[in-house]
Amino acid sequence: MKTRSITIYVNGEAYSLNVAVNRTLLQVLREDLGMPDTKYGCGTGECGACTVLIDGKKSILACLSLAATMDGAKITTVAGLEQEGKLHPVQEAFVNEGAIQCGYCTPGMVMKSVSILAKNPHPTEEEIRRELEGNICRCTGYVKIVQAIQKAGDAMASTC
Amino acid sequence: MSEFSIVGQRIPKIDAKEKVLGQTMYAADLNFPGMYYGKIVRCLKYAHAKVTKLDLSEAAKVPGVVKVFGPKDVTQKTYNAGVMDLMVSEPAGQMAGDIEDQTIFTDHVKHQGDAICGILAKTEEAAERGAEKVIVEYEPLPVYLTAKESMKSDAVQFTPLKPGNKAFELPAEMFPNNIYGWGDAEAEMKNADLVVEDTFYVPKQKQCQMEPHAYVALYDRQGRLNCWTSTQMPKCVHPKLAKLFDLPMSRVKINQSPVGGGFGCKLGMINEPQACAMAMAVPGHHVKTQQLREEDWIASESRHPGLYWMKIGLKKDGTPVAIQARFEAYTGGYYTQASGVPFTTGAWLSGMYKFGACNYKGEAYFTNQVPCGAYRGYGNPQTNFPLEQLIDRACNQLSIDPVEWRMKWHKNVGDDGWCIGFKYPSCALDECLTRGAEAIGWKEKRAKYAGQKGKKRRGVGVSLMNHCSGAMPMLLEHTTVTVKVNEDATAEVICNCSDLGTGAHTALKQIAAETLGFPMDDVHMLVGNSDAAGFDIGAHASRTLYVGGLAVKAACEKVTKQFFERAATALESNVEDLEMKDKKIFVKGSPAKAIDVKTITSLGVYNFVNPATGKTVGTPGQIQGYESFFPPHNSPPFSAVFVEVEVDTETGEVKILEFVNAYDIGRAINPSNVEGQLEGGAQHGLGNVLTEETYYDKNGLCLNSSFTDYKMLGPSDLPPMKIILVEQPDPIGPYGAKSCGEEGIINPIGATANAIYNALGIQFLEAPITPEKILKALKEKGLSY
Repeated sequence: MKTRSITIYVNGEAYSLNVAVNRTLLQVLREDLGMPDTKYGCGTGECGACTVLIDGKKSILACLSLAATMDGAKITTVAGLEQEGKLHPVQEAFVNEGAIQCGYCTPGMVMKSVSILAKNPHPTEEEIRRELEGNICRCTGYVKIVQAIQKAGDAMASTC
Repeated sequence: MSEFSIVGQRIPKIDAKEKVLGQTMYAADLNFPGMYYGKIVRCLKYAHAKVTKLDLSEAAKVPGVVKVFGPKDVTQKTYNAGVMDLMVSEPAGQMAGDIEDQTIFTDHVKHQGDAICGILAKTEEAAERGAEKVIVEYEPLPVYLTAKESMKSDAVQFTPLKPGNKAFELPAEMFPNNIYGWGDAEAEMKNADLVVEDTFYVPKQKQCQMEPHAYVALYDRQGRLNCWTSTQMPKCVHPKLAKLFDLPMSRVKINQSPVGGGFGCKLGMINEPQACAMAMAVPGHHVKTQQLREEDWIASESRHPGLYWMKIGLKKDGTPVAIQARFEAYTGGYYTQASGVPFTTGAWLSGMYKFGACNYKGEAYFTNQVPCGAYRGYGNPQTNFPLEQLIDRACNQLSIDPVEWRMKWHKNVGDDGWCIGFKYPSCALDECLTRGAEAIGWKEKRAKYAGQKGKKRRGVGVSLMNHCSGAMPMLLEHTTVTVKVNEDATAEVICNCSDLGTGAHTALKQIAAETLGFPMDDVHMLVGNSDAAGFDIGAHASRTLYVGGLAVKAACEKVTKQFFERAATALESNVEDLEMKDKKIFVKGSPAKAIDVKTITSLGVYNFVNPATGKTVGTPGQIQGYESFFPPHNSPPFSAVFVEVEVDTETGEVKILEFVNAYDIGRAINPSNVEGQLEGGAQHGLGNVLTEETYYDKNGLCLNSSFTDYKMLGPSDLPPMKIILVEQPDPIGPYGAKSCGEEGIINPIGATANAIYNALGIQFLEAPITPEKILKALKEKGLSY
């Protein structure tokens, strides 16, 4: 198996690795870098549990991303949202609105929510629901997740 | 103004922050030095076959492979992955015909996905490569996908223990004529003015929890078998694994890892036997086994599908005269919970309406599909689909409003519940029906849609349900709790109650804090540790909040009793003259005569002897409260669900416009959690009736083992949901609370089917009611809009 040397930035830190060309970003994060906060839900891009951000705003699926093609990429995982002990407004809203039950979809769901608000700070409920189609939650029925995103959007809008 | 300070509050879940930071360590996230990877190799080619050749020699040679395991390389003991063996007495289990027919690896494949061998390797990749080198040959056997097929006299027998492949029927020794219910429904039916009947089909629905199955096992160098599992029932898995591997329970440790969704599919054991068998062979090495998502549909338990015949008879004025029903479940390749669901399906049926006679029969037959087990609702979703539709059909023919009929004929306080002989202690259905009907605009919409025209048709439907808060007396109900008080008057609540994401641990902590008179921060929940805590059945039958809550409350009351007794001594007063507020106990009316609870607890631990006088100060003894709790009831909750749909008669698509669940919760310990359970349950229920089913080709191979093809309702498909929590406190439940874990899934099914009936004038006998079925029905009936 061919390998390639890459340097990726995860949550602000640089990591230089020599990866097999068939290795996914999900495998690199969870196994090579020991960061289990990004989850395996299906491995085939159908559930969104592995959602991470590129450049702080674009959401991608780590299970479908080949690490060898990501040299120089700036990646944020859910563990990288906290700033000096303070939860990101999306995280804060998820906690307060009851948008977390089993928590397994939460890392991907939170990252997707951050990217939704980064693209559009004032989404309608319909827009939120459409954007969330790629992230499956089997616990909440999405009700409180949508409410949390709306609350986070309001909170973020009022502080800028 | 609430009478409670913590119970009833929307407190954020105690594990929410950890989860939102991504710090929760699910089983798949665990890594240990020297850990190996176990790959469970499954038969993917056939749904029914004998393994005629299994050669693991090439697999063993793959670099990195440590050991290979065929069926004979591990214990040959049979087991049942379910826990009925622990929940009913041995005589009852024998009467039910419960069997243990599963082995760790098999040479008689009974469903696609059956495990045939295991490969243990140093890396996941080596284990996969080893699995690819397994040489296996099969002798295919005939495939049976329905009871009709497997019950044929010439069918291959799944097990010699069950002739005719009939896994279960209600035992005559417990239920005369194999019937559950009362009266002679067949005879009474003759007194009905109107009889409606049909045979319905209910689907093989899959839980699709977001956390795939993953387990870690270690046979440590102290000779203890340790297993990290997200089972819903750690203290049932504990004795089962001990028995399977011939170990005393003191040498088996279950660490319940955070449960990333269960909904019943993690009730009992899934892959713990395989993980532990492999670990036992490599003492000192952790072994992790992870299941692929696509294996979930073929290698872990599903809902019981099957044919459900039902016949109801009513008088002209709507009086329910008689109901007869028979559920024929396709139970899958192994027995697992074949006796559970076919019984409860009838139990919920019997618990709903005041029929003059009710006769239910339940049976299960083996089929070549993944075995059925527990799935949220446990027979109640199956019952809701036919029962509520037949009632609406009868109401339609008798020109009786469906809400009014239900209001008049639902069972009530003092009536027999789902377990005949156990009367309902509370029932808020009248208020649920009234408030729910108002919230959806029942009268206005039924009137408005009666004369509607156009290609898009709207309808509103209603459905009721009854369920349980724990399963006594049919099943064991038992929870033990220890409340350990630290010297600084903070406490640990130690128990093995499970939280599957439900918020149960948060609610139990709220109950503990309220009962102790402590703030939430002064209480810690120590859970999921089979060494530290005693027995608890686990999460099923919507029992954790009710039974666990009563147990926690009782243990905490034992603690506060000790606080008061010691305070009475210290204050030279009587217990009945004292009260406690803000962790201070004082004489009623004389607040200056007081003692801090912290003083009491500190003196209990640090009970110094004055060497000069030989005297001590305060009552000695660290305070603990222990409760081994058996609940006196199962306080069933009720609810009324209303759904409004719009059916596009050109595409067959059903859009859900509005959803209301008016729920008889008794008391919402944490209203946010209750709403979350009902909202989440609705997504499952609406999926059951509209989109979800596991499909097979004629060879029994699964056609839709992926999220793309197993269609669950997503955020754009779901309506805004109105949850109305009707709080009429139950006389028994903790602070009046009843359960809500399973119930949200149940009556969205009947309500949606009835809404479609109201919209189109057609009833559908098969769930899920897909656009294809709607278009087909419209075409067959020559209807155009």
